[in-house]
Amino acid sequence: MELNITNHATDVPFSFILQELLIGNIEKSEAKYEIYKKTRGITAIEVPDIETAISLHFQGGSLTIESGVNPYAAIIISTSSDNIMALSSLSIRLGLPHYFDEAGRRVLGLLFTGKIKIKGLLKHPLLLTRLTVIMSVM
Amino acid sequence: MEAYKAFTQEWMDAWKEKIAGSKEYREIAKDWEGSVSITVNADPSKNIPQTVYMFTDYWHGDVNEFVICDAAKAQSAKFIMTGDYARWKQVAKKELDATKALMQGKLKLKGDLTYVVRNIKTVNKVIDLLTEVDTIFPDDV
Repeated sequence: MELNITNHATDVPFSFILQELLIGNIEKSEAKYEIYKKTRGITAIEVPDIETAISLHFQGGSLTIESGVNPYAAIIISTSSDNIMALSSLSIRLGLPHYFDEAGRRVLGLLFTGKIKIKGLLKHPLLLTRLTVIMSVM
Repeated sequence: MEAYKAFTQEWMDAWKEKIAGSKEYREIAKDWEGSVSITVNADPSKNIPQTVYMFTDYWHGDVNEFVICDAAKAQSAKFIMTGDYARWKQVAKKELDATKALMQGKLKLKGDLTYVVRNIKTVNKVIDLLTEVDTIFPDDV
């Protein structure tokens, strides 16, 4: 399983956490690997409480991690550090994020109360779904 | 409430007792398997002349070995958490969230991160219970 991940954000400790999380998730699941290979586009994650932002540039089987929010990011997720863990705890059912269990309801609650903000949610649902699937530890 | 000197066996025993006595922990941690070691880097300016190694072991809601140990035993743990004294003190005083500290690189974790994230409630509960131990810190005496 070749993931071809390049981390250009080595000055950002959060980038290593996310990198490790993605590697751990994808390497444990052939299904997630297949999704990873199909994922194309730039997503960004902003974590204001730790003054950190990184961008993930997926290129269908390879990934470049960059510091900051890439101006061409199709999806920008903005939330606090503890909620990143909530996003990673979403269950996957039939290849899609599942919002009807405890973890899913929590994420929906965070979305509705603005504690998780996602730019590009409606314009790029496929990219967001794929990102959610490969970020999920479940 | 009795106060304990941080990073001593008595302090670890008090922490273990808190965890073992928590019904909430037992419920949350029912899926957790394995040991976690904590390394507190030496900081002579804060009265930590040598690196301190602690080994803690958990199994499906039970709490097993909780000891001050040597580097070799700490390295044998399923998960190894390392950080400077000042950071651990902040965590133990509830001034710094451990998850945030990991993301900021203030604490380091060696081990399967996906397992930790899957069981983050367990980790947070163990740390919450640590903050309930009345602690005397070496640089406060």
